[in-house]
Amino acid sequence: MKTKFTLALAGLGLLLSALPAMAHHSFAAEFDSNKPVTLKGTVTKIDWMNPHIWVYVDVKDEGGSVAHWQCEGGPPNSLTRNGWTKDALKIGDQVTVEGFKAKDGTNTCNSRSVKLPDGRSVFAGSADDGGPGRRSGGAQ
Amino acid sequence: MRFGLTAAVFLAGVLPAFTQPAPKPPQGPAPKINGKPDFSGLWQRPYVPDMTVTTADGKTQVADPSLPNDPKTENMKGRNGQPAPPRKLLPYTPWGQQQWDAYDAAKGDYTGSCLPFGLMRSMNSPDPIQIMQSNEFLSLLYEQNTWFKVFPLDGRKHRDIVPTWFGDSVGRWDGDTLVVDTVNFNGKTRLDTNGHPHSEQLHIIERFQRPDLGHINYEVTVDDPKTFTRPWKNSRVFTLRPDWEIMEYSCEENNKDFLEGHIKGGINPGK
Repeated sequence: MKTKFTLALAGLGLLLSALPAMAHHSFAAEFDSNKPVTLKGTVTKIDWMNPHIWVYVDVKDEGGSVAHWQCEGGPPNSLTRNGWTKDALKIGDQVTVEGFKAKDGTNTCNSRSVKLPDGRSVFAGSADDGGPGRRSGGAQ
Repeated sequence: MRFGLTAAVFLAGVLPAFTQPAPKPPQGPAPKINGKPDFSGLWQRPYVPDMTVTTADGKTQVADPSLPNDPKTENMKGRNGQPAPPRKLLPYTPWGQQQWDAYDAAKGDYTGSCLPFGLMRSMNSPDPIQIMQSNEFLSLLYEQNTWFKVFPLDGRKHRDIVPTWFGDSVGRWDGDTLVVDTVNFNGKTRLDTNGHPHSEQLHIIERFQRPDLGHINYEVTVDDPKTFTRPWKNSRVFTLRPDWEIMEYSCEENNKDFLEGHIKGGINPGK
C-alpha cells in the first residue's frame, strides 16, 4: 500500500515544496485516497482551532434531504502565516469542497480545496499529511 | 491513475495560494556566543515525512547517498515534471523489517492521540522551531504541540534516567559544529510520518552548523543496532525567519479525528 501510494504520487508530477501545513497524523491513518468526494453545500460552522480547522457543510440532495458533512483542513498556525483568517469563509456561504472521504464511512472528509462560487479558493494549504498531492512518501 | 488525475485537478485549484514566496533570508556572518556559533532564532524547516526521500533540488532534504535506491521508485517525477531522485532503502535488520512491514497508520499511531512525537519526528515536523542558546545550554522550542528540549553544551555524560520520548541529549562542540548525542529513548515513537521504525536502542547524533546568518545545515545520523544493520544519515537546511513569531499549538485542543473515533491512537507502537 505504501508503495502504491508513492507511485501514484510520483506520477502526479505536481508536488509542491513549499507547503505550509502539517498534520499531527498521517493522511492514510484516517482518509481513503481512493474515495474522492465533491461536496456542494452551505457552510454551517467553522472550527478555527488546533490541530486542524474543520468546516461543516450541509449538502442537499435532489430529493431535498440534507446531509451534514465535516471536513478537516490545515492547521490554523500555518494558514495564518499564509494570510488566511477564519473570516475568509462565513456561515451561509455556498462552497464546493473537494477532498477525500474518511475510511470509517462517516460524513467526514479531508478537504484539499474549498471554493466559493466565484472560483476563489479559501484555506488552501490543507494538512501536509501524506495525502494526495502532499509530499509524504513521494518525490518533491 | 484515477487517483493521480483527481489530485492533479485538485492541485490546479489550490496552487495559487502556495505561490507566496518566502522572503530572502537575512545575509551576513553567523553570530557568535562564547566564541561559538549562536543558533538562536526562529527557523523554518522542511517537512520531512519520509527520511528516505531526497528532494529534487538535491539540498532541501537529502537522504543518505550511501544507501541503495529503491528500484520501485526509479524514474520518479518531481515538481514541474522534473526527474526526482529515487527513494532509498533503509538497512533493516530482520526485526526492523518486520516492524516496517507490519506498520499501518490506519490501525493506530501514537500521534493520532497527540502523544509526544519524540525527537526525530519532532525534528521532521514542518512547524518552525525557536532555538535559544546560552553559554551553557541550548533549548529547542518546537511549535509542534509546544514541546521543548533543553540540553547542556559541555559534553557531559548521559544521565541514567527513565527512558523518555525525546531521549537524553548532550551537546558538545566539534570546532564550530554543534554535535548533539541523544540516547535513552522509550522506543514508543516512529522516526517520521511514514512510520519508519526504531527501537529503544535508538542513538541519534545531530550535527548543527551555521554557515551564515540565514541558515543552519542540519545532519542527523540514525544509529539503532536492533532496527538497522548500520547507521544512516539524513540532512537538510533550516532558514531563519525573523518575520515570523512562534505560535501556540495544542494538538489536543480540537482533535476530532481521535475524539470521534475516526483515527486510532496507540501508546506502544512497534512492539
